[in-house]
Amino acid sequence: MFARGSCGAGVDVGSTQTKAVVVGPGHTVVGRALVPTGAQIVKAAERAFEEALRAAGLPRSAVGKVCGTGYGRFKVTFGDFQSTEITCHARGAHHVFPATRTVVDMGGQDTKAVRVGPSGEVVDFVMNDKCAAGTGRFLSAAADVTGLTLDQLGPVALGGKEGVRLTSVCAVFVESDIMSYLAQGKAVPDVLAGVHRAIAARTASLVRRVGIESEVTFTGGVARNPAMVRALEQVLGTSINVSEASHFCGALGAALLALERAEAEVGVAPVEVPAAKWDDGTAPSGENGGTA
Amino acid sequence: MSTAYASSATVNERARRAMDAWFSEIAEAKARGKKTVALMVSGAPLELLRAFDLVPIFSEVQALQLAIKKKSLPPILRAEQEGYASDSCAYVKADLGLLFSDAAPVPDAILCNYVGCNVYVKWFEHLAAYTGAPLFVLDVPFARTDVSSSEDIRYVVRQLEEMIVFLEKVSGKKYDPDRLREVLALSARAEEAWSRCKELCKRRPAPFDAYFDAINLMGPANCLRGTEVGAEVLELAAETYAALASERKGPLPEERFRIVVEGPPPYPAYRSFRDLFAKWGAVGVASTYSCVGGLWEFGWRHDPTKDPLVSIAEHVLRENLTNRSLLDRGDRSVRWLREWNADAFVIHSVKSCRLFSAGQGDERERVREAGFPVLMLESDLEDPRYYAEAPIKNRIDAFFESLEQARALSARRGS
Repeated sequence: MFARGSCGAGVDVGSTQTKAVVVGPGHTVVGRALVPTGAQIVKAAERAFEEALRAAGLPRSAVGKVCGTGYGRFKVTFGDFQSTEITCHARGAHHVFPATRTVVDMGGQDTKAVRVGPSGEVVDFVMNDKCAAGTGRFLSAAADVTGLTLDQLGPVALGGKEGVRLTSVCAVFVESDIMSYLAQGKAVPDVLAGVHRAIAARTASLVRRVGIESEVTFTGGVARNPAMVRALEQVLGTSINVSEASHFCGALGAALLALERAEAEVGVAPVEVPAAKWDDGTAPSGENGGTA
Repeated sequence: MSTAYASSATVNERARRAMDAWFSEIAEAKARGKKTVALMVSGAPLELLRAFDLVPIFSEVQALQLAIKKKSLPPILRAEQEGYASDSCAYVKADLGLLFSDAAPVPDAILCNYVGCNVYVKWFEHLAAYTGAPLFVLDVPFARTDVSSSEDIRYVVRQLEEMIVFLEKVSGKKYDPDRLREVLALSARAEEAWSRCKELCKRRPAPFDAYFDAINLMGPANCLRGTEVGAEVLELAAETYAALASERKGPLPEERFRIVVEGPPPYPAYRSFRDLFAKWGAVGVASTYSCVGGLWEFGWRHDPTKDPLVSIAEHVLRENLTNRSLLDRGDRSVRWLREWNADAFVIHSVKSCRLFSAGQGDERERVREAGFPVLMLESDLEDPRYYAEAPIKNRIDAFFESLEQARALSARRGS
């Protein structure tokens, strides 16, 4: 199968979820996993890594280097090095969509806009400061108030016709705003359309600070929300790349960095073995593939 | 530890002792029959005060000392209780909070040298109202052109003449222009030495950090200027750093990135903030903040051979950061980046400090246009509540990661 130490692994410890990805010597994903982070960060990182290995059907020894990323990156104690999620999301997005030059990453509490060079390197970046207004936290607030799950929000919002105007300066105050509209008899889809538009507007001003260069790729958990994708496309005035596994982009980028380091150390050319292919969202299949 | 490193610590120790002596002078002033005058750092006509043997109190320095010792929050909260807004300058709140708690020295007179920060004026008006001390406001216009007009100079000199009448009353002494010239000569020595230190940072590696280490010498440069000890400390620094530079020694084991820094440091988290940069081998080779007392690295000095009041007027009017246009600030930053061979520009933005922070977005664009990467961070210079280490660390790490990547790519491309 894979030569010892020929794979790279990335573990992305986020505030709510921990993701792990293993890439093989052909620079393709061979396994991945997602676990809730919880309070035991080190354990979450270990579990995610083990599950990704299991999905890949690989022993630990197949992995040459492990890179930790995300806010909890220093808690990936079994890792060899860490890298910020800015760098990793850029690499991951660029790997999936090689023409990517701008990455928009929306997580649970922060939003980043990253300009990316031809090799997936970070050219410039900007993040929301101190305040989580206009980030994924807004969606959590909306879900709380409307009694929907995060996964239901997008499809329901897509059904909204007239988006209502909402505050976009406080993720806590937006809850009372939403409640007020519902009390007035506004339809939930319309209110949710307004929520998505408010987030998109705030995100767009962040992205414009770093400059929008085509192609734009959307990563992070919120990219799975179709209403968010649509709202962002409308506000930015450009189509946006989204992958089915957008929230794994950080871990993927970390895994690619880890693979590079493993290769550099060993100094051996990648071994040619059949490996699962994971490109624009098709699930990996085959002997060495696996999904979470 | 080599002799060179020991010497750097010696410089800081000497500076600290000189500053402690000055704080004692303030505390003992009344007992010794001396008068104290509160004034501001930027565009300070400090030399005139010294010529009258008046003891200066720098309220800003008082405030930053509190923050560095992690004691700034209680007075800030006290001031907020009295009604000061949460987003107003935390220096003001720390200083006035201290006064409300009877823990601040009460000045005999207050001199507000307004050189661009209009908060200064309100701060000192409040101080005057609370203490009953007489207040004099020196109005220094914004620099609209590169060279100040003769009208501008005359405007300031006329006010300095009025200030002399004020200071004669406060001190009970007569104005002595020869004494003032002596003081100007001592200032010029300090300025020459400080300027030499800054110049040395053009070398690789820079012998000291012109942002993080500079704060040790800003005390003598801004507060002890015009005294013998002030000149001596800075001359010792220049000698020491010259020796370090010739031995190719710097503040870090390896200088990997040379940065120009804009904005004051987050004093409440000073050490940990510095560590975030030290981890990447990033050294400040120039900074705007180290120039808040005056811009001496481009050649200007106080000149005792001139009309002393004209020399002082030139300093407060022209050799400052705080009364420049946004265009000028941007151009000056680019000049520092180029002449000091820097790799990147780091902005520490302080929301409650309008003077420094207004225009930093434009400055960021100007610097990027000039081809330098820019990192922008945000917290506060005095209030510990605004410093969030995780996001700040994330931005610093991501920024230097991208610089590392860029270097690695250039190396691979053979450029």
